[in-house]
Amino acid sequence: MKRIVVENVWKKFSIGYTGRQRALSKFISMFSGREPKKEFWAVKGVSMTAEAGEILGLIGENGSGKSTLLRLIAGIYAKDKGKIETDGRIISLINLNIGLKDRLTMRDNIYMCCSLFGLGKRMVDERFNAIVEFTELEEYVNTKLYQFSAGMAQRLAFSIAVHCNPEILLLDEVFEIGDESFKKKSTERIEGLVGEGATVVLVSHDLPLIERHCSRVAWMDRGVVVREGNSTRIVEEYGRHEKKG
Amino acid sequence: MSLKRTLELSLALANAEFKLRNEGSYLGILWYMAEPVLTFLLLAGVFSKSLGQDIQSYPLYLLVGIIMFKLFQKITTDCTKIIRDNRFIIKSIKFPTEALVNTVILKTLYSHVFEVLFLIGVVLYYGGPTEGLVFYPIVLVPFVIFTAGVSFTLAALTVYFTDVEYIWIFLSRLLWLGTPIFYTIEEHGSIFLLNLLNPNYYFITIARDLAVYNRIPEPWMIAGMIGYSALSIAAGVIIFNRFKPKFSEQI
Repeated sequence: MKRIVVENVWKKFSIGYTGRQRALSKFISMFSGREPKKEFWAVKGVSMTAEAGEILGLIGENGSGKSTLLRLIAGIYAKDKGKIETDGRIISLINLNIGLKDRLTMRDNIYMCCSLFGLGKRMVDERFNAIVEFTELEEYVNTKLYQFSAGMAQRLAFSIAVHCNPEILLLDEVFEIGDESFKKKSTERIEGLVGEGATVVLVSHDLPLIERHCSRVAWMDRGVVVREGNSTRIVEEYGRHEKKG
Repeated sequence: MSLKRTLELSLALANAEFKLRNEGSYLGILWYMAEPVLTFLLLAGVFSKSLGQDIQSYPLYLLVGIIMFKLFQKITTDCTKIIRDNRFIIKSIKFPTEALVNTVILKTLYSHVFEVLFLIGVVLYYGGPTEGLVFYPIVLVPFVIFTAGVSFTLAALTVYFTDVEYIWIFLSRLLWLGTPIFYTIEEHGSIFLLNLLNPNYYFITIARDLAVYNRIPEPWMIAGMIGYSALSIAAGVIIFNRFKPKFSEQI
């Protein structure tokens, strides 16, 4: 069963461009605060699929279009051309940014962030204990987040995301987080979700991690998927390319 | 995205924002009333014996104008920044961004409850009739719909044209001075004719008629109120929906 189908997808951005400006243009930009823009195609004709119960890795250099593709699948960005079809509840965890508020307690943050992921209050009530238990931060439920360490906040963000019933989990530089025991726990949780039929798309620069967890890998370069296939082979090819590079 | 999900999210975010606003404050909800109360006391002190001399029940006339205009000004001004202030979350999670505008409206309405309580207190203090206040929600509902329309429009436009934020600060101050809040206007005068184009004039006048003077508003005023509400919300929803697919790229 295909959970994600991406067909010939293109995405362009209008990006700031200050090169080759004439003196008058620079002068106007300085006062108006506007700068000349140019078109930049971040994703160019990408096609791929992801099956239920698989972890698909996305690798490539910075600016190769991995995160843009992830956001296109999540529906955060609108595509310019092509077709994207998804089947299942999408949860995106991009740099663990899920809108946690420092001045709210862990309890309030759980309710607020779960709402952002589309859970109603009753559903959050049902999952609340599981979320807290997973973080292993039971004694801090009524503590405000500004008193949390970065690792504790990461645990909370991750726990909220994986308890929101993801059928498609999009992870950008997020997989093994926290200390060693939590890394193991978070990995087991993701593998559990995959075992239940969820699809995970993982963007990462950590090649051993990609090789360890992904069944398939797509290597992106300048907006194009240049290689796709078995993770060991693709990671090896990419590693060689990086060394040459 | 379903309407139910948008409403649930709006409520959850508004509750969180309400808590954030009180967080760490010793005086808490008292601050909600600080601005309208101080504005009221100042203007009542300055104008009671000049601009307000010939206005019946001037303190109540003034207070209804202040709390309604401040509600409009607070919601619309906050909405000019709401999309950019939430850029990280908009770029990370797909959710109905309308909820952010609704959140501003809801949390400001929570505060408005305290302003209305203050209004009731002032009415009681001056020995005025309180039964008219029962009708205040009848004006408040279309007024909030009108304000929501303006807010959706501003929230969307500011993403593309940052200047809208600064223009709106200036325009809302002009509106504050141009709307008969602390003074009255003569019918058929030039300011009256200009105010026919000012939706706030309709809502505030109707609210005063109902809540302060216990009289039925004129039908053309009611028609104006309904017309401006419908026009505003229709324009706001169309503009917001037109622009929202690209919010995440523009912020």
